[in-house]
Amino acid sequence: MKLARLTAAAGLLAVLLFAPGLRADTLDRAGLVQELCGDAGAMGRAGTALVATAASGSAEDRAFAAPLARAVIDRKLGCDDAGAVLDEGGLDAITRMPRAAAGTPRSPLLSLKNRPVFELADAAFALRGAPAVAQRAAALKTLERRPAQIPEGLLDTAAAAESDAGLKEQIDTLAQTAALNASDPAARIRAIGRVAENPSRRALTRIAALESDPAYAANPEFRAAVDAATARIERGIALGDTLATLYNGLSFASILFMAAIGLAIIFGLMGVINLAQGELIMIGAYVTWLVQQGLRVAAPALLDWYLVLAIPVAFLATAAIGIALEALLLRHLYKRPLMSLLATWAVSLFLVNIVRVVFGTQNMQFETPFYVSGGVPVIGDFIFTWNRMFAIAFAIVTLALTWGVVRKTPLGLNIRAVTQNRDMAACIGIPTRRIDMMAFGFGSGLAGLAGLALSPIYSVNPQMGQNFIIDSFMVVVLGGVGTIAGTVLAALGIGQINVLIEPLWGAVAAKVIVLLMIIAFLQWRPEGLFAVKGRRK
Amino acid sequence: MMRLGRNGPIVLLTGLILLVAVAMPALSGTSLEVSRYLANAIGQLAAFAVLAISLDLIWGYLGILSLGHGLFFAIGGYVFAMYLLKHSFVVTGTVPDFLQFMGWKDFPFYWAGFDFFPYAFTVAVLVTLLVSGIFGYVSFRSRVGGVYFAIITQALVYVAMLLMFRNDTGFGGNNGMTGFSVLFGWQMGTSGMITALAAGSLAVLALVLMLCRWLVGSRFGALMLATRDDEIRLQTLGYETLRLKLIVWCLSAVIAMVAGMLYVPQVGIINPRVLSPELSLEIAVWVAIGGRGHLVGAVIGALLVNAVKFWLSSAAPDIWPFILSGLIVLVVLVFPNGLMDLAKFRLTRPMGPKRMAEEIGEARP
Amino acid sequence: MVKFTRRSFLQAGGVAAAGLASPLAMPAYLRSAQAQSGPVKLGCLFSSSGTMANLEGRLNYVVKMAADEINAKGGVNGRTIDVLVSDPASDWPLYAQSAKQMLQQEKVSALFGCWTSVSRKTVLPVVEQENGLLYYPLHFEGDENSKNVVYVNSPPASSVLPAVDYLMGEEGVSAKRFFMLGSDYVWPRTINKQLKGYFKSKGIPETAWKEEYVPFGFSNFQTLVNQIRAFADQGGGQPVVILTVVGNSIPDFMREFANQGILATDIPVLGLDMVEADLEGLDTAKLVGHLNCWAYLQNAKGPANEAFLKNWAGYVKAKNVPFSGTVSIDPMVSAYDSVHLWAMAAAKAGSFDVPEVSKAFAGLTFDCPSGYKISMTGENNYVARGVFIGSVNDKQGFDILWQSKDTPKPVPFSPYG
Repeated sequence: MKLARLTAAAGLLAVLLFAPGLRADTLDRAGLVQELCGDAGAMGRAGTALVATAASGSAEDRAFAAPLARAVIDRKLGCDDAGAVLDEGGLDAITRMPRAAAGTPRSPLLSLKNRPVFELADAAFALRGAPAVAQRAAALKTLERRPAQIPEGLLDTAAAAESDAGLKEQIDTLAQTAALNASDPAARIRAIGRVAENPSRRALTRIAALESDPAYAANPEFRAAVDAATARIERGIALGDTLATLYNGLSFASILFMAAIGLAIIFGLMGVINLAQGELIMIGAYVTWLVQQGLRVAAPALLDWYLVLAIPVAFLATAAIGIALEALLLRHLYKRPLMSLLATWAVSLFLVNIVRVVFGTQNMQFETPFYVSGGVPVIGDFIFTWNRMFAIAFAIVTLALTWGVVRKTPLGLNIRAVTQNRDMAACIGIPTRRIDMMAFGFGSGLAGLAGLALSPIYSVNPQMGQNFIIDSFMVVVLGGVGTIAGTVLAALGIGQINVLIEPLWGAVAAKVIVLLMIIAFLQWRPEGLFAVKGRRK
Repeated sequence: MMRLGRNGPIVLLTGLILLVAVAMPALSGTSLEVSRYLANAIGQLAAFAVLAISLDLIWGYLGILSLGHGLFFAIGGYVFAMYLLKHSFVVTGTVPDFLQFMGWKDFPFYWAGFDFFPYAFTVAVLVTLLVSGIFGYVSFRSRVGGVYFAIITQALVYVAMLLMFRNDTGFGGNNGMTGFSVLFGWQMGTSGMITALAAGSLAVLALVLMLCRWLVGSRFGALMLATRDDEIRLQTLGYETLRLKLIVWCLSAVIAMVAGMLYVPQVGIINPRVLSPELSLEIAVWVAIGGRGHLVGAVIGALLVNAVKFWLSSAAPDIWPFILSGLIVLVVLVFPNGLMDLAKFRLTRPMGPKRMAEEIGEARP
Repeated sequence: MVKFTRRSFLQAGGVAAAGLASPLAMPAYLRSAQAQSGPVKLGCLFSSSGTMANLEGRLNYVVKMAADEINAKGGVNGRTIDVLVSDPASDWPLYAQSAKQMLQQEKVSALFGCWTSVSRKTVLPVVEQENGLLYYPLHFEGDENSKNVVYVNSPPASSVLPAVDYLMGEEGVSAKRFFMLGSDYVWPRTINKQLKGYFKSKGIPETAWKEEYVPFGFSNFQTLVNQIRAFADQGGGQPVVILTVVGNSIPDFMREFANQGILATDIPVLGLDMVEADLEGLDTAKLVGHLNCWAYLQNAKGPANEAFLKNWAGYVKAKNVPFSGTVSIDPMVSAYDSVHLWAMAAAKAGSFDVPEVSKAFAGLTFDCPSGYKISMTGENNYVARGVFIGSVNDKQGFDILWQSKDTPKPVPFSPYG
């Protein structure tokens, strides 16, 4: 009985709320435009009216109101002394007759509270009226973000009118999900099942709220559905959290790996501490930026692919710098590793400042191509972000490339020989000096690639390289000098441990603990995880 | 004759330092008075020179490069700052900033007693010995050396910086500590105080210089050089090098700590930036430019680089990094013994055993 | 074994003596002689290298531009202004060093400088000791009132609290839950402490907020954004993020935030230190609606702003300034105001002596580019400014969402700390 009363009350409330919408055939067009030009409160009322019109207005009213919602979002509505104009084409907002703006038009700005209302209205209009299936599908995605706000009836009407079978099914699914607070208990139970299909903390909050619903105590079926959904969502969240931790760890590890792999080769081969490695990463990112600017001028159609097209350029440019560095400076310092450390520090100081003078200190502006923007929700609260995925994929490719060069090419064979025993290698006729130079170039080129891969993740500025130097050295030393496998393992371990500690004690503590662990480990095993077989250096 | 030639430069330098130390207070009030800015700069330079000596002792004479000497410098600096704050609090009632913004009513318990300088000094020495002792013992025992030691010390100082950046450690966090008003009961910032601090720093510099000179000239010093040049041979001959390295390492850490104590009252602030890996690297740069393995070289390197830095960071801020990097490359490529090579050029034959002229203490581990 | 001759030592010693004496002493000697006549000197303490360079660097040029404007009108008290620039390289102790050098050696009449609170705290003892005058152009944590510092921008009670009020209000988003994320240093800590006090006074339970701090220059925000999502999804009302990270952490955070698919309509971010320059490298289409609050926004209406923007664009072009001529941020305007406020005070006092200039502060007003008439009273060294709340638009700028009716009286000491 109580339930019936409540439902009746809710129905009455809905009628009152959407009362302007029910009178939609008498939509007050001038009044609506006036409210759109009013203060935040008036705009809010106008937004609600727009939503109602989208759900239950006549076709003419919807055709009239749809451009208004879009125009406000895009700030294309110009309010002037004589009402308002739609900026594009200079149409009057009410009569839709061409006219010029009277005075200086002012475009109203949506407040944070009104913005979702207008976006909802815009999506609702698009779902019912947009010509292309893709536009309607996109509108549906927007509606999915706020199932609770979707006006009742909208989805049913939209589904009935939908011509595309796939989209129709999606609309029906959403309609079922949105029925969580509907009056029909069967629809509610179906909605609970639907909500549980996409587990997330938000879904859990929505379902958990139902436990205080009168139906939970009264209706055992409803109760069972809620409990089952809660359990299912909790499992989903747990799985999602585990995956997210793994993914975060993997993405951090891939960054560490790319920053460290070039160093690992150089350090393993020559015992040279290259403190300029971070700056080579930075230069790789700047070269990527230059390629992007070049494409903008030369081939705008390819602009989206600059990250791919820059790969050879970034590699060759930084490799060339590395070779020059080796030939001019480090060549003279092989017997003096500590001096080469100071020398490379001077180089890093120089590179940072020369880049600062040439490009300035601001963050460089990068296009964000579609393949590194946004993410896909997978399960629970785990979102698969594309820029991280790009870094991970890039790290795997870099690993394969490095492994291929070191294991399968004559250069790699020579590098390994010199790494294991320089004197013996020289004795059997390997040109160790030339190998050093090539390997230094190769290691520097890998740093350049790291810069490229990091540009969609980090801000690119002259300072960026300095963030990597200590971390990457720790990876190299922990992994064991001169082994690729050690570098990979060390990067994975450090990345994962960092991500595990971070939520517990914060980012700083995570870094401190991980570094202290590494230092302690190195005191115990100075040769790292994997020691190269052969002469200890 | 030989001995005089050996000790000549260091005696002269010490004399010069003491002369300046005496002249500064003596000239105050006369027309030749040293300006406060210059006096303060001289005092800071003296602190840096002490720091450079500490690094030269282990790098130049023992062949161990530490890229983490900022850690010990910071221990001295922080402890002295704690003394100053607590002392100022007791004398004038100034409540330090970090207590206020952390919302703390009182000093954390480990600040107890820091208004009493002998206690603070003892704590600084003990903490320095503890940190350097444990780290040195473990490192030297597992024969971590060369570039490995350099990177690990760098990571260590970096860890310390991250830790001190945290506000909840009770040492002022990122802001560090500032606002010192009283030292040993006297008002800070007056001309007299600035001159006294500078003269005191110079005196300490002279003292440290003589002490180190005596040390490296002794039998112990000869063992240090031998360890640097061929540790394995020395061990084969029956010498225990672990203890020797540990002693010098700890001594060097304590000297760096003293430098930190001199530095803080003159610059008026201590914060985790002194723990940044760059500063520790820069110490090595001073020593390299001045000339490793020469106490005089370390002092001159520190004075020269920092004086030019003070000057250029206001006169021509843009070119300073270029000059510094150019200077390092020049030294590294052309003058492996720094400015000492310059002195050598037109004069006598290279000094010391043959190996020293080649490269100091860089035999790979 | 070191073999040294007397001569070799003298050479080495000579180098040292030259290093010590000449660069430091000589310019001072020469310069102090001309201090009484000729141009009057102002000093800048903004880094042009290091982590803060991108933000601080442009303020050097603004100060010079403002000085040029004044010089074009005949200078102050019959003397032209000469602006000295130093580079503290984002290294806090160097700020104190540069300040000492400027005050003791160059005898500058006023200093304009510092961005972070750390650098201000470092310089503070120096200016107090030397009885100098520092104009500080950033909004900050308040709770400080030195007679030697002019706080040109707003303390939190007159900038942050109105913005938070707006978010909590009906017109905003009726915010109920607050995730406070900051860099670990005095400004974020103090702001958050005051906010917590404010929330308590509003009866908001402690479970409704969360505080996290990251180190300076931190950029890997993946896990933290996950935490924010988890916090938001717990329910209990509209969540907002109050962001007090600084420097490059801002764009890195915003990028990760957008990449994880969170829009301003889900969880709005109030970026207290976020300026147009932080959006420079970002795709802001997905950030539309996030907020900041300052005493000036580039989109401010009025002739003063138009003139300022035009002058700046012209100055950038004419002097080949390495910063964008089309971006103008609050601290730039505050630095610009500072120079004018100083010049007005010096002219009113008829002197460049700090005590005289300070006495002339009371009653100064200036038509700030923000469109407000900013003013000083004799009560403290704060400047009354207007408040803007900005909303990120898709053109890497901020639209004005809300602005105060007039200039609220600055409250140096927060009642909520």
